[in-house]
Amino acid sequence: MGRPGAVIEVDRNTPPTLFHFGEGVRLERLPLGTRVVYPPDPLPPIAHPERAIRRALAHPLDDDPLKSLLRPGMRLTIAFDDLSLPLPPMVQPDVRQLVLEEVIELAAAAGVEDVHLIVANSLHRRMTAEEIRHVVGDRVFTTFYPDRLYNHDAEDTEGNVFLGTTAMGEEVTLNRRAAESDLLIYVNLTLVPMDGGHKSLATGLGSYRSIRAHHTVHTLRNSRSYMHPPDSALHHACTRQGQLIEDAVRCFHIETAVNNHCFPALVNFMQKRETDWTAADQAAYLTVKQLTDLAPPAVKRAVFHSMRAPYGLTAVHAGQVDAVHERTLAAVERQMLVEVEGQTDIVTFGVPYLGPYNVNASMNPVLVVCMGLGYLFNLYRGRPVVRPGGVVILFHPCRYEFDSVQHPSYIDFYDEVLADTTDPAEIEARYERCFAEDAWYRQLYRRSHAYHGVHPFYAWYWAAHAMEYVGDVIVVGGERETVRHLGFKCASTLADALEMAEQTVGRHPSITHLRFPPLMLADVR
Amino acid sequence: MIREGIAGKKLLVTGSTGFLGKSIVEKCLRAVPEVGRIDLAIRPTGRRSAAERLAREVLASPAFRRLEEELGPEAFGRLVAGKLGVVELDLGREDLGLGSSPEALAGYDIVVHSAAAVEFDNPADLAAQTNLLGAARLVRALAESGGRPHLVHVSTAFVGGMVRGLVREELPLDPGLNWRHEAAVLGDLRAAVEEESRRPEVLDQLRRRARSRVGPAGVPAQARAVERLRERWVRDRLVERGRAHARALGFTDIYSFTKAMAEHAVVELRGELPLSIVRPSIIESALAEPFPGWLEGFRMAEPVILAFARAALPNFSGLPDAVLDIVPADLVVNAVLAVAASPPPARSYRIYHLASGSRNPLRLRELHDLCTTYFREHPLRDRWGQAVGTPTWTFPSRGELVARGRLALRLVDAAQQLVEHLPLGVTATRWSDRLNQERGRLERVLNLSELYGVYVEVDSIFDTRNLMELWERVPEVERKSFPFDPAGYGWEDYFHRVHLPTVVRMARADTGPRRRRAPTGSTAPRVEPNTALAALRRHRGRGDVLAVFDVDGTLVQTNVIEYFLWMRLRDQPLDAWPRFLAAMASRAPRWLYLERRSRAEFQRAFYREYDGLDLERMRELGREALDAITLRRVFPEGMRRIRAHKEAGHRVLLLTGALDLVVEPLAELLGVDLDCAHLLVRDGRLTGDLQSPPAAGEARATLLQTYAERHGLDLAASFAYADAISDLPMLEAVGIPVVVNPDARLSQVAGQRGWRVERWEMAPGNWRPPLPDLRSRGDLERVRR
Repeated sequence: MGRPGAVIEVDRNTPPTLFHFGEGVRLERLPLGTRVVYPPDPLPPIAHPERAIRRALAHPLDDDPLKSLLRPGMRLTIAFDDLSLPLPPMVQPDVRQLVLEEVIELAAAAGVEDVHLIVANSLHRRMTAEEIRHVVGDRVFTTFYPDRLYNHDAEDTEGNVFLGTTAMGEEVTLNRRAAESDLLIYVNLTLVPMDGGHKSLATGLGSYRSIRAHHTVHTLRNSRSYMHPPDSALHHACTRQGQLIEDAVRCFHIETAVNNHCFPALVNFMQKRETDWTAADQAAYLTVKQLTDLAPPAVKRAVFHSMRAPYGLTAVHAGQVDAVHERTLAAVERQMLVEVEGQTDIVTFGVPYLGPYNVNASMNPVLVVCMGLGYLFNLYRGRPVVRPGGVVILFHPCRYEFDSVQHPSYIDFYDEVLADTTDPAEIEARYERCFAEDAWYRQLYRRSHAYHGVHPFYAWYWAAHAMEYVGDVIVVGGERETVRHLGFKCASTLADALEMAEQTVGRHPSITHLRFPPLMLADVR
Repeated sequence: MIREGIAGKKLLVTGSTGFLGKSIVEKCLRAVPEVGRIDLAIRPTGRRSAAERLAREVLASPAFRRLEEELGPEAFGRLVAGKLGVVELDLGREDLGLGSSPEALAGYDIVVHSAAAVEFDNPADLAAQTNLLGAARLVRALAESGGRPHLVHVSTAFVGGMVRGLVREELPLDPGLNWRHEAAVLGDLRAAVEEESRRPEVLDQLRRRARSRVGPAGVPAQARAVERLRERWVRDRLVERGRAHARALGFTDIYSFTKAMAEHAVVELRGELPLSIVRPSIIESALAEPFPGWLEGFRMAEPVILAFARAALPNFSGLPDAVLDIVPADLVVNAVLAVAASPPPARSYRIYHLASGSRNPLRLRELHDLCTTYFREHPLRDRWGQAVGTPTWTFPSRGELVARGRLALRLVDAAQQLVEHLPLGVTATRWSDRLNQERGRLERVLNLSELYGVYVEVDSIFDTRNLMELWERVPEVERKSFPFDPAGYGWEDYFHRVHLPTVVRMARADTGPRRRRAPTGSTAPRVEPNTALAALRRHRGRGDVLAVFDVDGTLVQTNVIEYFLWMRLRDQPLDAWPRFLAAMASRAPRWLYLERRSRAEFQRAFYREYDGLDLERMRELGREALDAITLRRVFPEGMRRIRAHKEAGHRVLLLTGALDLVVEPLAELLGVDLDCAHLLVRDGRLTGDLQSPPAAGEARATLLQTYAERHGLDLAASFAYADAISDLPMLEAVGIPVVVNPDARLSQVAGQRGWRVERWEMAPGNWRPPLPDLRSRGDLERVRR
């Protein structure tokens, strides 16, 4: 059994602390008295995942065994989470592969022939054949691709159906094949508490029409945080939509959770506490540091993005969505939760090279904001680690760099929208519609591998709550011009950033460093 | 004396559209309103009649503003209507354009001949026509008209040629030249030079130059370029011949030579006419009248002074103690009027030098120091708003300076040649632009040294005895209103108060710290900048507007080779790569050579590589290349522009020499029309032969016109975006050409024609070599096979 998460105060003997810095790392000496929050060690994985999956399918929660739901001649659709989960992508076999193989075997045994597998990529980019193969495994891939294993297309007017409107007026659409199936199975992988549950189907197989109901600045400012579903307006909306879907289609949910073992053995130092570093870890750090300082960005990216995480399965549950999700969340929180005593004036953390929307691509400035002020900032329960009006100090090189295949709309968003205003509400009111309905982005989303035209807006809204809540955001090591364009401040060293922060929070501030990744959920008391 | 001499008289003034001529007319009207009448001899041009030229080129000049303000517009109008007249006179024609009525010139009392081609570097034949033959024709016509007017011929002090010491107020020493012969020689030069310019070796050389500049743009464009080059060649050669001719005969330039010959001609032909010749030295801005600093044209010392103030002329040749003979314009005007009022006895002539050298000498070093002190106090600003420091001239010899300049120019030339041969790229273009700038600067410096250097190398002092004698006769009252004593002013006052501020004003140079754009508080609509986007907005909603885009290099940073490389490598096993790549590399030099000659030829040669490949397979690979190459390398700005055009309701066409295999997917994605190359197919395999000739060079322009006709489009309101010189005909065919990331050659053309130039870039961080991704397992398996 690994150690639980910990909050350590920096004293004279504390070694320098590791900061992720885009496609690189750096060690920083934090001021004395700084609290460093470490996530719990990885939980031990389930020894026999296949057996656990089979058991879960045979004994679902609040539902009949899957076997009993399958009959010959039925239309079966299996949807599964796309490549934005987990991060980094998992070493093969992916958990979803294991689950899919079990499910398909059951279906085959029951004589179900009409089986479709759909990547629930929502408004994310279409996964490439290679990426799908990585997630589902060779066997499933060769059997089903490309006719019966494909990406969901949210812009296909024929391929989506309108299911109705919730009591709160949210419209609901669903992939037509899924909606017209006799049984819809969703295979999920929950990495952080915002994933899974009703959100899986409502967004994963939804369209702009249904997703725009809750991906709004208003909702996200009222989701405090969206990493804790009970307090999240976003999740409440998803639940309403999900219930409407459950009423229309017979659904069966399979949810899995993994531990936080996110780096391969070679660079294990990245997730170890600095006090635990061995000589080998020190050497690995030095090597990585030197190489990343010297290597050109393209090479660094190629190396970092080829890393695969040796995640271990910690929970698998099947059956009715609410019951399943409750258990899954418990497993996730067991892995992620760290108790933190009280809020702080300044919070610091490094933004890693990877976020959910840049698998196999560079993390562009908009995604840096989405990752830093969106995902990482919101990893709290109760209240944020930083006090209202406090300062967030991020570490990221924040280069003006975009992947033109995956993020074409991001380029225009950055060049045209952010040049005008950085206020999420204003951006939403003035620009969202025209990007969302742009024919060119729609084409690229459907035919190439581009994120939907509206996606940069959502990435920006993701940070709306943080932007409203904190007093100042300082990016250490960022490209000055880019950071200013994003509406933040830039500092070259941590010391400078802290001095700048004192302008906002006063002398002798309290500082807390969140040692991401691995990810953790700060339970602030 | 002067007023009396002119009052009631009838004057004819030639050259009244020039600086001196209109100054004379103005002063005469203002100071001697009782003058009988002033007729201005004006040559009608193709565009404007003589009367129109009077209104637009003479009366609208700032010189007349003072008079108009003093009198008020009405009285001014009455004065002009009453006193000024126009005579259509063309000194370039044998009969002066008067036809068979030479008596039209009979009734004048005074004729002031101030028409001249005053540039020092005029072509030989033009200088001879205007300065020499024009004067001769006028005198002959006057003599034949039957009248006896007093002819005041304005000449130049430099007619004496490059002689040292005192130059007397006499006819220039006759080196045994016959002005008729000289006129014939210079006049015939053009035919000879034209003839020479058509010699095969000259034409070949010009054609080579044109080909290297616009070769890929096609034959018609090249032919036009050759003709332009030839015309310039003829002009340059005529200038050169004129200068050489003048220098050989001991003159500083063709201007002073033809003026000297004109003096001989005028004296010889004058017959009964009383004749006065006024020889001003270098005329500069007016000291006081009509206003201090009145000056028109920018050709004497001004370019040198400005270049000095901008530190663009690091050094200047000349003798620092040589006298630089400058006179303010109003002194010349007064002297001309004084001379006009006191004619010599009939059949005799008198010459007056109007020069400062003998009574009020200004030395070159003094001018340098005056400029230095002035520009230290009132420096010009560079484009960042910083004061420009003035150089310190050491006055080396002209030969030394010119040799150094020529060497630098040759080095720049060599560098330019080198850059032109580099493969296209943003860096190469930037270098080329910088070299062009440097070249322009060097050429200007060299030109200035060669043109003006002579004037400060000769120790001539111009005798002014006749002038001073005249001055002695002027009564005290008129000395105030018609001052022309060259000793009557100080140089420091003249330069610091009058002339240098004039030079700065006329050059519109920045002298104060630059003001940033500040909020004006004005609610008036802002002036739209003249960008392509602004033009696009102006043409919003017009269905007959076309936006045509070149693809390779304009929308996508790629070329036909890279696509081929990618598709072929993706299609063969890893162990076959080295052989394939080696074969490609061995053919690369030939392709590069062909590309420089003509893009069409290159494409044709390159497409042979497709011979024998399977069509369906290549189609599939082309579609894959969309994600792997095209979309990765598009210019986001270009995509935005296409969408903006579509949104504005324009028709969009991609016009490219690339193959349908690779561009069709892009055009389909964009939902726009496409015209591209197609290969012939036999039994499902590509042949490497084109179905139709590649659309490059002039073929693109024709294609565009056909397309426009078919769809009822208005090319004059259409847009074209392109990046290479081979697209020149296409850019010329539309009303709004936009040059995107131009190559060195197109950049030059765009600069000359004032076309909009835009720089579009790939989103940073997207460049990948055109190789299949070996990390992807699918690719790896395929190439391992």
